[in-house]
Amino acid sequence: MNELNNIMSIIGKETVRAIIGLIGVLVLVVINALILTWAERKVAGHMQRRIAAKEVGPFGLIQPIADSLKLLGKELITPANVERSLFYLAPTLIFIPVLVSFVVIPFDSYLQVKDMNVGILVILAFSSLSVLSILIAGWGSNNKYSLIGAIRSVAQNIAYEIPLLLSLLPVIIIAHSLSLKDIVEAQNGLWFVVYQPFAFLIFFIASVAETNRTPFDLPEAESELVAGFHTEYTGMRFALFFLAEYTNIFIVSAIAATFFLGGYQGPILPGIVWFFIKTYFLVFVILWMRWTFPRVRFDQLLNFSWKVLIPTSLVNLIITAGILKL
Amino acid sequence: MNFGEFVFIILMLVTMIGALTTVLSGSIIYAMLGLVTTMFGIAGLYVYLNAPFLAMMQILIYVGAITILIAFAIMLVGPLYQKPKEWTTITKFVLALMVSLFSFLMLFKVIMRTPWAGGKAKAFRITTTDIGRMLFDKLALPFELISLLIVVSIIGAVMLALFSKGEK
Repeated sequence: MNELNNIMSIIGKETVRAIIGLIGVLVLVVINALILTWAERKVAGHMQRRIAAKEVGPFGLIQPIADSLKLLGKELITPANVERSLFYLAPTLIFIPVLVSFVVIPFDSYLQVKDMNVGILVILAFSSLSVLSILIAGWGSNNKYSLIGAIRSVAQNIAYEIPLLLSLLPVIIIAHSLSLKDIVEAQNGLWFVVYQPFAFLIFFIASVAETNRTPFDLPEAESELVAGFHTEYTGMRFALFFLAEYTNIFIVSAIAATFFLGGYQGPILPGIVWFFIKTYFLVFVILWMRWTFPRVRFDQLLNFSWKVLIPTSLVNLIITAGILKL
Repeated sequence: MNFGEFVFIILMLVTMIGALTTVLSGSIIYAMLGLVTTMFGIAGLYVYLNAPFLAMMQILIYVGAITILIAFAIMLVGPLYQKPKEWTTITKFVLALMVSLFSFLMLFKVIMRTPWAGGKAKAFRITTTDIGRMLFDKLALPFELISLLIVVSIIGAVMLALFSKGEK
């Protein structure tokens, strides 16, 4: 403890907090991906009346570790005609928004790397980088399937970013703050999902689309595009896309839990336990959706966003603002 | 050189390298990435000047919306597998240089003439609430005029798209 105080006095409390936070975030990213790969297999298996992974370890729990070791051992193939710098840049770039988002998420009333007064804007601003890296991956791969996947991803993200923002605005108006911690504190009595059921639904649909999950997984539709934007990636580079996808699922669920389900607020159990219960419940819903809904067609996807989600969220925003002003 | 200056110089370098890539690169996709780098550099400068809201808006609008739209346009209309282009002609280069030098000198003069309130005493302390109040109170008219301008341009774009569709 004494040494820690010494280090703190030399490089400052904020820096120590940032370093510890970053280490914590990296550990959480890896553990979350391990849990989610296992959970996805299990959920998928039981939904299709199979048993799913069970050979490696009890209930197949060691399976994700075996998988990740396999991925680490695989050869990194760089196809001949790719744009090398872009090809290498994309898997790294997709990790920046993922890491930045964790900085502002409050896991408990005391457990947050940094509480910023522009908290939610940080997440939303940096989330656009993941589109950019998908675009770069698709372009740099020099492969028609990758490129089609990337173009679809951009169109989808432009369409769904707007309802995503518009559905968060009513909550921000009610809570009078952009800081995620203030928003959680504002839900001390009643969760915002009670006031804003439509905003919650719209946010959830739009965020599933933003993470490129079924039923909105057109950028990587296996049956038509091989694997979409990451067709040409192997080994750890592919694993990075994979990690980012699972972490994104966690992040959108965490934001939904923070904004609408009261974040770390809850009786009896400590805050962090409530936070993870709510977040992983939403994660489970997203996994559940994947094995329940068929993939939508592209025109349906865009029409749904522009003609249903955006008008609904606008009306919701105006009504909320009007009622608050009364 | 203290830590602050070091950060400032790094941000300057990022911004300038991005801008130079945007202008000088032959491949349009690299130019776009250069633009993104510049925008991030500028956002970093805003954070450095203690204006995080402005920085986040810079990233949200310029990186999140505008560059992605540019990229989309490139992918829709551009020749998809074209190799990076060779240098443009000397005349074009000289003309571009003249225009940018002219605008640089203009801005330089304006910056030099403005009396800047220097010193650390006047630290930048504007919160998001202040910006919101200003936009909907004091600056309501300019704000509404800007939105009107945007609406007009959107209608114009839609009309253009409809018109060209009708011609086919």
